[in-house]
Amino acid sequence: MFCYNCGCHLSEHDFCTACGADVSLYKRIMYVSNMFYNEGLEKAGVRDLSGAINSLRQSLKFNKNNIEARNLLGLVYFEMGEVVAALSEWVISKNMRPDKNIADDYIDMIQSNASRLEAINQTIKKYNQALVYCRQDSKDLAMIQLKKVLSLNPKFVRAHQLLALLYMDGEQWERARRELQKCINIDCNNTQTLRYMQEVELMLLPEENVKQSGRHKKEESVRYQSDNEIIIQPLNVQETKGGGFSTLINIGIGLVIGLAAMYFLAVPTAESAAKNEAQKSIAEIGNQLDAKTASIKELETRIADLQQQNDSLNQELQGYVGADGTLNTIDNLLTAATTYLETQDVWQTAANLEDIVQNIEIRETSEAFQKLYGTLLGSIGPELSKTYYADGDKAYDGEDYPAAVENFQRAVYYDQTNAEAWYGLAEAYRRSENNANAVATYDKVIELFPNTEWARRAKRYKDSLAVENN
Amino acid sequence: MINFEEELKKFHPSLEVEDAEEAIYNQDLTDMADLLVKMIKESEEEAQQQ
Repeated sequence: MFCYNCGCHLSEHDFCTACGADVSLYKRIMYVSNMFYNEGLEKAGVRDLSGAINSLRQSLKFNKNNIEARNLLGLVYFEMGEVVAALSEWVISKNMRPDKNIADDYIDMIQSNASRLEAINQTIKKYNQALVYCRQDSKDLAMIQLKKVLSLNPKFVRAHQLLALLYMDGEQWERARRELQKCINIDCNNTQTLRYMQEVELMLLPEENVKQSGRHKKEESVRYQSDNEIIIQPLNVQETKGGGFSTLINIGIGLVIGLAAMYFLAVPTAESAAKNEAQKSIAEIGNQLDAKTASIKELETRIADLQQQNDSLNQELQGYVGADGTLNTIDNLLTAATTYLETQDVWQTAANLEDIVQNIEIRETSEAFQKLYGTLLGSIGPELSKTYYADGDKAYDGEDYPAAVENFQRAVYYDQTNAEAWYGLAEAYRRSENNANAVATYDKVIELFPNTEWARRAKRYKDSLAVENN
Repeated sequence: MINFEEELKKFHPSLEVEDAEEAIYNQDLTDMADLLVKMIKESEEEAQQQ
């Protein structure tokens, strides 16, 4: 205990040993607060939660800093389902003593589980809604809401009491008694609960008195609870003492009823199960059929594609094959060879060879074809190359560089070893300001004719072009 | 005999979690010890004035 004046620890004297203030009355107040706390603790121990709340509130009225009393009050509220009130007390307690306070654990327990906190809030909202329904005279809706509330928070005493009150209003006394009994199990000395219980007992008493009028009969009666209903076996009901014949008839009737029930219940079920099984099989077969149909359609599409491809290839082949079945290109090559052998006309032979080149790719033809083509080209090439070179040179002199390029290209085509033609082509490119092709052609000259005057010149011009570009 | 309407008036809406903060702030925390200290201080002031 600390002095209210200077905050020093108080001794057994009635004055503060530090500041000299009179603390006799202050100490009494603290004692009374502790006394109420002890009382509250005792009441909470025997589940007199309402009594405990009263005592603990008294304790806090005397000493608001009684942390134990405040924490216990929160705990009692929590036990009665009043979660917000409990939280409030714990928060105040935590605020008064931030360290070494068990309220911290209680708050964490609730706040750490967000879903639980949400459930608590929902419970409170539903309870308030139920109260609104009651005031609007929608008692059935209120009952439904309260049942939901109690399924979420079974210790919510006020909800139990309100539900009991609704049952009482609907004269469902037994149900009201069950709800009130639940209240008593949580809080055994709640005045409101006890008052309602008294009323309910009063309403139930005459009926029980009638039933229990004779002590002898009471002893014989059998009473038990099944779910929400109390079953009371009727008294003074004696079984008729009939012969064994009626028993046999009853057994027979029972058997007949049993067989009929079996026929009407079990057989349709079995039939239904068999039908379901058959339908499943049909569905499965249907699925397989669909899959196969799809597969057949896909294959048909592929066949159509292949057929189309085949037709186009055949058509292409027809273009190559002549009337007598031989390939046109071979025919053309043979014609070119015959022309050259008979007439030595290099221009006609060149024209024939160019026709062949336009139609087919020489590298894709047979070895014999390529050899004959090469021989013909080799025979006519140098002469043609010289001629084209002369034409190219003439055009170059006349500064007609595009024509020069074209002629030089033909010259090198017909004779790859014509160094003058290569060099001339490179020069024509340079003059045409086609530097990229010029450099490439100079490189070709250097590569094909190394250590020659052409190569040296080509290198010089190539270098000069590189300097110009830079 | 219990009167439903009268009994219903005794039930009040429960505080929701969102309202807890306001409830805490509005709570009157004055206790007997505060009153005693206040009374002692007032009597001391009166004595000084006299």
